[in-house]
Amino acid sequence: MCMAVPSRIVSMANGMATVEAFGTTRTTSLMLLEDEVAVGDYVILGVGGNFAAEKLAPELAAEALAYLAEVLDSGQA
Amino acid sequence: MAFPDTGISVSLEVRQGQVAHVAMRSGRLVQASRLLAGRGPNQVIALLPTLFALCGTAQALAGAAALEQAAGLSATASQRMARRYLLLVECLSEHAQSILRDWPALLDETPRLEAVKPLRPMVGAAKRALYPDGDWARPGGGRLVVDHGAVLEQSRLLADLVARLFGDLDDWDDGLDDFRRWFAQGDCVAARLLRRIEAEGLGGFGATPVHFMSATGPRDLAERLEDDQSGDYVARPDHGGIALETTPLSRHHGHPLVNALMAEHGSGLLPRFAARLVDVAAALREVEELVQDLCDEPFIPGVMDGTGVGLGMVDAARGLLAHRVELQEGVVRRYQILAPTEWNFHPDGAFAQGIRGAAAGPDLVRRARLLAAALDPCVACTIEVHDHA
Repeated sequence: MCMAVPSRIVSMANGMATVEAFGTTRTTSLMLLEDEVAVGDYVILGVGGNFAAEKLAPELAAEALAYLAEVLDSGQA
Repeated sequence: MAFPDTGISVSLEVRQGQVAHVAMRSGRLVQASRLLAGRGPNQVIALLPTLFALCGTAQALAGAAALEQAAGLSATASQRMARRYLLLVECLSEHAQSILRDWPALLDETPRLEAVKPLRPMVGAAKRALYPDGDWARPGGGRLVVDHGAVLEQSRLLADLVARLFGDLDDWDDGLDDFRRWFAQGDCVAARLLRRIEAEGLGGFGATPVHFMSATGPRDLAERLEDDQSGDYVARPDHGGIALETTPLSRHHGHPLVNALMAEHGSGLLPRFAARLVDVAAALREVEELVQDLCDEPFIPGVMDGTGVGLGMVDAARGLLAHRVELQEGVVRRYQILAPTEWNFHPDGAFAQGIRGAAAGPDLVRRARLLAAALDPCVACTIEVHDHA
């Protein structure tokens, strides 16, 4: 399933961000984001992960991450 | 606890100068919706667009339709129109993002990201213009208050966008000669891509005998989902042993232009990409019609404490998306999702069939990437070749 994994921005430089989700970090472009973002904000990544697609409210990110953690724990992944 | 790779990996085994075997590995979390069990309908609806944020509108609306059927509710005509409008805006946004962001890479060009940036926010703007309380996917229907000025402005923006996507192609019913002239001379990325496909003789690449899914889904869909305790069906669906295709090509194969291209190229790349463009034009036309008819409707609380089974289906950008729910005294007991990518990228589906038997060569990965892009999976798709020659 094309699930969106909320990723937390850990650093930013020159329109690129290092984001983290479930202990894995990756680099993604912030070029397509409409909203301003800062370190600590959550974003979801577009297909392939090269671009951040959308900023996510922290409470929505927390809810989705809790669900995804449950998915991993249950072995449904 | 690392999150798994949720993409599709394709391995092409080459023997005696052609692709002899196609191995597909999908990391897609097709069983993840099971954990929606135990939640209330409103919790499910709140979670769906966040979990599936890339096609969140289609996912939440399929969920709303399934929950309504399970609870014995029915959305009014006004709600159905407003939902259809939102779905079409998402469909246009998804196609346009793909064309402007991903198609340039197929031409070894750099995408113009400033053109892509306004696309995704259009979907949120459409929701705000119809449902000021944000309850656009509420089962039974949210409080619908149409901001006619905003909606009209949005349909103008969408028309501008489509005009930019297609350059001077404005009449889709003029037939094959005009379409050929357009892509032979046009300067937009879509025309350049089709021109290159034709110039390289790839118009019919990937053509196979077609097994199109009907607009209402396979006849046995409800029954197969009900029986699917193992989850094998939602991972690798079939109908009578055949992995059907649900794509813009299956949606528009009757369109005169697509039909004429199929007469020359079967289900090859040229008709497939053309069907994507026809899908964009058709969605815009429908948006422009709907804009005239959207109207307000107060929120009437629907009772969701029933027991029943519901199947909700929506035509998403990539094909038919189905949600099935079992509701017991207002609590979700079982939740299943079947997405179009599982049909189209089935180990025996349109992609695998299309690439099997392809001639080996240095550009095999590129041809496979073109076919994957034409079929448009909703996750990353990596392709590798193992030559056993």
